[in-house]
Amino acid sequence: MSEEKGNADSKKRIDRRDFLQGLAGIPVLGAFALAALKQESYRRTRKAQLASAAVPQGDAAEVNVALLGVGAQGDVLLNSMLKIPGLRFKAVCDVWTEYNLRRAANLLKKYGHEVNTYEDYREMLDKEKGLDAVVIATPDFWHAEHTVACLQAGLHVYCEKEMSNTLEGARRMVQAARDTGKLLQIGHQRRSNPRYIFTHDVLLRELNILGRVVTAGGQWNRSAAPDLGWPKKYEMPVDRLKKYGFDSMHQFCNWRWYKNLGGGPIVDLGSHQIDIFSWFLGANPKSVMASGGTDYYDKATHEWYDTVMAIYEYDTPRGTVRAHYKTQTTNGSLGYFEQFMGDQGTLVLSESSQIGALYREKTQAGPWDEWVRKGYLTEPKILESKAEDLTQGALDVRETISPDEHKIALQFFDPYHKPHLENYFNAVRGLEKLNCPAEIGYESAVAVLKVNEAVEAKQTLYFKPEEFLAQGAA
Amino acid sequence: MNTKLLSTFQWITLILLRMIIGWHFLYEGLAKLLKGNWSAYGFLMESKWIFADLFRWMATQPTVLQIINVVNIWGLILIGLGLMLGIFTRLAAVGGILIIALYYVCNPPLVGLFYSIPAEGNYIFINKNVVEMAALLVLLAIPTQRVAGLDLLLAKLLQQSSRKKN
Ligand SMILES: NC(=O)c1ccc[n+]([C@@H]2O[C@H](COP(=O)([O-])OP(=O)(O)OC[C@H]3O[C@@H](n4cnc5c(N)ncnc54)[C@H](O)[C@@H]3O)[C@@H](O)[C@H]2O)c1
Repeated sequence: MSEEKGNADSKKRIDRRDFLQGLAGIPVLGAFALAALKQESYRRTRKAQLASAAVPQGDAAEVNVALLGVGAQGDVLLNSMLKIPGLRFKAVCDVWTEYNLRRAANLLKKYGHEVNTYEDYREMLDKEKGLDAVVIATPDFWHAEHTVACLQAGLHVYCEKEMSNTLEGARRMVQAARDTGKLLQIGHQRRSNPRYIFTHDVLLRELNILGRVVTAGGQWNRSAAPDLGWPKKYEMPVDRLKKYGFDSMHQFCNWRWYKNLGGGPIVDLGSHQIDIFSWFLGANPKSVMASGGTDYYDKATHEWYDTVMAIYEYDTPRGTVRAHYKTQTTNGSLGYFEQFMGDQGTLVLSESSQIGALYREKTQAGPWDEWVRKGYLTEPKILESKAEDLTQGALDVRETISPDEHKIALQFFDPYHKPHLENYFNAVRGLEKLNCPAEIGYESAVAVLKVNEAVEAKQTLYFKPEEFLAQGAA
Repeated sequence: MNTKLLSTFQWITLILLRMIIGWHFLYEGLAKLLKGNWSAYGFLMESKWIFADLFRWMATQPTVLQIINVVNIWGLILIGLGLMLGIFTRLAAVGGILIIALYYVCNPPLVGLFYSIPAEGNYIFINKNVVEMAALLVLLAIPTQRVAGLDLLLAKLLQQSSRKKN
């Protein structure tokens, strides 16, 4: 630049003025640094807060474990347990010795666990000394007998939900846990899921983020599917099937649909979510009405209802809440989730990690921005009003503008059942309290099993408060 | 530099413009750096228009993506510092224009293109990227760094040392 030369000639040295002008950017950079530091410290606290909400790792004192029932769910649990340190697998029992028992034993062998295998659980309890804990994943109608026997043999028990297909059986389980003083965890694994715990403890209880909850809802939709089959060359002999309570291989594989063996989809799937209603609302239901039937599948092989809709009423500490629940096994749209609606906002939560959002009510001014800043929620995604697009700008003022969508900031990537099993084994080691002890499993069973009764009765059924206490156990 | 070209107020507005753009670049870079796991992957995969295949290809090549991430983060930080402190300002302005131009051609707001990541405004051809590029062009044309910035000191130092040699 030509004028630079002239300038340089006229002013020979760097003076104070040049110096100040030269450093003009420094105070701005200083202000920037302050802002950036402050923001970064918020970000860190928020990260730490979320991390601390996760389930802590226990000390890895070795626990000797047996597995009872290693079908589809037993396999899922086993794969989660293989990720938990400090477990030594000693024995596996399953009546399908040709197939499931073999598969589980082989898997364990691959991970360096030499296990003894059994067809009959009584033989296992007889021969295996030195077991600490058992994980039961047999069909629902076996839970009571298996659990009671294992507790009486001095083992701590993790038993899959549904606790039992009958309340009488569930009561015996509670009683056995009380009598033996052993631990009994029921497999409602959401009770240990960090996202559910965070939502319950922090969002609902501490922040009261939804305000006064008035309704709840939930569903589990599944696509139509053929009955479960089995590899013909591993078929079980009929006398063994009969010995363990099954008429045929078909019934053995599809026990869920049969009246004396399982509870149908409402019990199989609904039990998880109806349990969440009670947990999050802090109350057991007061009444239930329901409609259901086998509308799609063959009634001969689907004794329980393929479609059920239920409506519960709850007396919560803050007033009445009505909750609807649907399970449909002929269409998988929208999957499964639970939903709670208060006067301040809506919560939609699911075990499936993609679903977990909060919607703020526009008419209410809770400190949501503050909660976003503290890291409980993500920044809102603005959901644009459909009406605006359709009417080309002439927004109908009566149309409610859809609320902003916030995501629950806590993420969870482990296998779904792992935290619940960890909680169980940490309780066995004396480090934690069970998240779903027998009493809670029982309350949940009372609430869930009544739906099938209500379908049959075709009228509203009422719960007496004392029904939820597992008293009068045999 | 003849500062009399513009009034003091005019200079101040232009210097302010430079600081603001510098601040924006610096924080964009710093925030990505501090996040630790930031990646251009999502942005590149969203690419529309004639270069879409190229940008998506870049996103799927781990080494290429890695280089893009590092260059982008440090590019933003250095450009931001350059503009804010007024050092190597012309280089920073050119760099800024290039980097934004890349963002623009990756996801341009052209007629008929729609993006799944919603924008916070409505644009056709001209978006905030273009506005920032135009502002950088102004800063390229008018050397505010010779009035306020380390380049002023740098220039004087160079002149002094060259005079001593003579
Ligand atoms: N928590 C969850 O998310 C979840 C998911 C699925 C199933 N479950 C529960 O897990 C349990 C098992 O379900 P599944 O889907 O694995 O069923 P499944 O039919 O696949 O498996 C049951 C297994 O138990 C074995 N078995 C049956 N009777 C037995 C007996 N008397 N002694 C020893 N073994 C016996 C069978 O051979 C089979 O291997 C059920 O209670 C179910 O409700 C829980």
